[in-house]
Amino acid sequence: MGCSSSLPDRSSGRLVGPNSENGGAPDSKNLRVKLVLLGDSGVGKSCIVLRFVRGQFDPTSKVTVGASFLSQTIALQDSTTVKFEIWDTAGQERYAALAPLYYRGAAVAVVVYDITSPESFSKAQYWVKELQKHGSPDIVMALVGNKADLHEKREVSVQEGIDYAEKNGMFFIETSAKTADNINQLFEEIAKRLPRPTAQ
Amino acid sequence: MLSRPMSSGSTSSTSADDSPGPASPKSVEAQLGSVALSEPVAELASAANQEARNGVDFATAGEGGDDDEEDADRGGEEGPVGGAEEEVWADYGGAGGLAAAEEVGEGLGGGGVVWGRTNSELEVDEPASPSSSGYAGERGSSGASSGELEIGEVVEDEIQEPRSGDGVLDSQASWVPGKRHVDEDDASVSWRKRKKHFFILSHSGKPIYSRYGDEHKLAGFSATLQAIISFVENGGDRVKFVRAGKHQVVFLVKGPIYLVCISCTEEPYESLRGQLELMYGQMILILTKSVNRCFEKNPKFDMTPLLGGTDVVFSSLIHSFSCNPATFLHAYTCLPLALATRQAAVAILQDVADSGVLFAILMCKHKVVSLVGAQKASLHPDDMLLLANFVMSSESFRTSESFSPICLPRYNPMAFLYAYVHYFDVDTYLMLLTTSSDAFYHLKDCRMRIEMVLLKSNVLSEIQRSLLDGGMHVEDLPVDPIPRSSSLPSHLSQPKPPTDSPERFRETCDGIAGPAGLWHFIYRSVFLDQYVSSEFPAPISSPRQQKRLYRAYQKLYASMHEKGIGPHKTQFRRDENYVLLCWVTQDFELYAAFDPLADRALAIKTCNRVCQWVKDVENEIFLLGASPFSW
Repeated sequence: MGCSSSLPDRSSGRLVGPNSENGGAPDSKNLRVKLVLLGDSGVGKSCIVLRFVRGQFDPTSKVTVGASFLSQTIALQDSTTVKFEIWDTAGQERYAALAPLYYRGAAVAVVVYDITSPESFSKAQYWVKELQKHGSPDIVMALVGNKADLHEKREVSVQEGIDYAEKNGMFFIETSAKTADNINQLFEEIAKRLPRPTAQ
Repeated sequence: MLSRPMSSGSTSSTSADDSPGPASPKSVEAQLGSVALSEPVAELASAANQEARNGVDFATAGEGGDDDEEDADRGGEEGPVGGAEEEVWADYGGAGGLAAAEEVGEGLGGGGVVWGRTNSELEVDEPASPSSSGYAGERGSSGASSGELEIGEVVEDEIQEPRSGDGVLDSQASWVPGKRHVDEDDASVSWRKRKKHFFILSHSGKPIYSRYGDEHKLAGFSATLQAIISFVENGGDRVKFVRAGKHQVVFLVKGPIYLVCISCTEEPYESLRGQLELMYGQMILILTKSVNRCFEKNPKFDMTPLLGGTDVVFSSLIHSFSCNPATFLHAYTCLPLALATRQAAVAILQDVADSGVLFAILMCKHKVVSLVGAQKASLHPDDMLLLANFVMSSESFRTSESFSPICLPRYNPMAFLYAYVHYFDVDTYLMLLTTSSDAFYHLKDCRMRIEMVLLKSNVLSEIQRSLLDGGMHVEDLPVDPIPRSSSLPSHLSQPKPPTDSPERFRETCDGIAGPAGLWHFIYRSVFLDQYVSSEFPAPISSPRQQKRLYRAYQKLYASMHEKGIGPHKTQFRRDENYVLLCWVTQDFELYAAFDPLADRALAIKTCNRVCQWVKDVENEIFLLGASPFSW
């Protein structure tokens, strides 16, 4: 149907680690990274992604089904670019067993909780343990306390987040997808922490 | 059965988390006995026997209240149709069928109670013992009703059709998906007034889903439903439905999952049961049937967290019961497209299917643009309906491309498939199904190839145009079956001309509908498992009128497909709303609605013309050949 040129490409495995390239020329200046978001339902994973990728915020909650796939490229100050291929997973319990499908081979895991919900903080800890057991050994993990704009309803203190993240070798940040606070910082910080390809 | 005292009684006996799963026999008997049998048993039993023999009654053809959704509060303006009704049945064996059914219906009257069961007679003969449930005081004297079973009256007091003036909700307002009235429970007056309830519960009586109200607050009510089901099951029998006044309570047992519909919409039992089957299928699509294992491990398993966030999927399915004929026709419908356009879409999907995709489906809203299955794989129309409903009702699919596990209940209820879903525009979406859990990047590549071809061959813009033009309009019905050489009616491939084109003569009676008073038709091709439904003309322009017509068709469908009355070929009905004509052959089924004053002979003639018209344009309205629907 006039598209045979794209045929050879389709069978190539595309599970991308930090060092693998998109079939094109290998390039240490242009990273391509698989990132997975995990966390309880309703903590704002999709909102974080949509704020980061499209600069939008939709207050009406749209329950994610399975997992959504989005990508966004950012440029760092050292003139490298990082293309994030983001798996925004559903927080619903029924998808928990299928999570490995999405975090397998991921270079980055962003574990999100809602600072107004201690239950979501416990759930975040569950995901961290799960990733430590079954994720890639060199995975970069970030712990994100979202809905930071709702500080008057806060139930998980900043210190609790920092302590847990430190104990588990994670990077910690509080964000608000609603106000866009710290959203870009989150992804920039992740990009900085990525292991760089050794071959220059 | 729906009385509040009862449910509160059962709350205390069965619903608490620490109580044993199935209700204890004592409380069940107390509940059933006191509710259903405070009046003579003989009448109940004989009524049930008659009903069981005759199946659904056809006594009322009119749609009393046809609104069970948001606009329900305006229901009072249209009463049930009593008198003038003309019915002609042809070609069925035995003259007794309809007449007998009608007699039964009349004999039962408004307050009668009918139990439908799969076999045997009613054997519920416990004496009334209301005291054990603690609500004797609220029921008053059981002898108060003269000759009628009390349950009928209780029910009518409790759940009733909303009277006109109760609310000012606009029936024209477009339907918004999602669960409403979560604050209600079975103690709320508004909850009881809802015309159509759907419940899913576990065999231990735990609520799983309720159309209205908060499931957790309905634990007592769920336990009551469970008690009724298990009481009859303990007698080695199975309860199919209970009729109480205007209400019908329909039960469907699927292993550890119980589904119940309580409705006063006058829909036939078979239709409501079919709707419960679809509800179950939707649940399987989300979870697979392996959820049963959770109940094997723990009978008191709470399933609600597993269905978290899916309220909108079920509410959208329930909404489609009254606006999508696919829910009772068990067929799918195609978006009308020029043959070449559809062929282009089929070809690229076929190309993709050959590369390891199980099903490739391109749809526009609930209509199929093209559909291709891998070799030997066949897709049931009901699975398509449930899949399309799932995708369209889940907003997140519109945000970005997704990869999600889904189960096709008719394909394999035990296993997940993986669905790649991508929206090309607001209405048009592609679904690629595979058995492989790591096929995402392959499917993403497939989608990009498909998108390129669809853009190049203008398929996507043709889809938008077809959506604007609509499908078959009854006013375009050709006067005579013209033997067409090659040209197809222009309106299906081109925008409709603003005025009558000279080459097409219209015999429109008054400019608002088709010839001979034809308002609407549905043509279902038996071999293709596809149907085509005409666009709605002015006399049926509101969603409310459309719903009423679909309900009438649905009733007709149920009566034509009922086992035991004989093979009907045609049916002609006249009431104050329409003349309905149904014609069933080995190849097709035609359902047509005419102006209520339409002439019978002319209507029949018009139906012949409709069939010819459909055949003339079948290349554009159906997906022909290489159908994966070959089971």
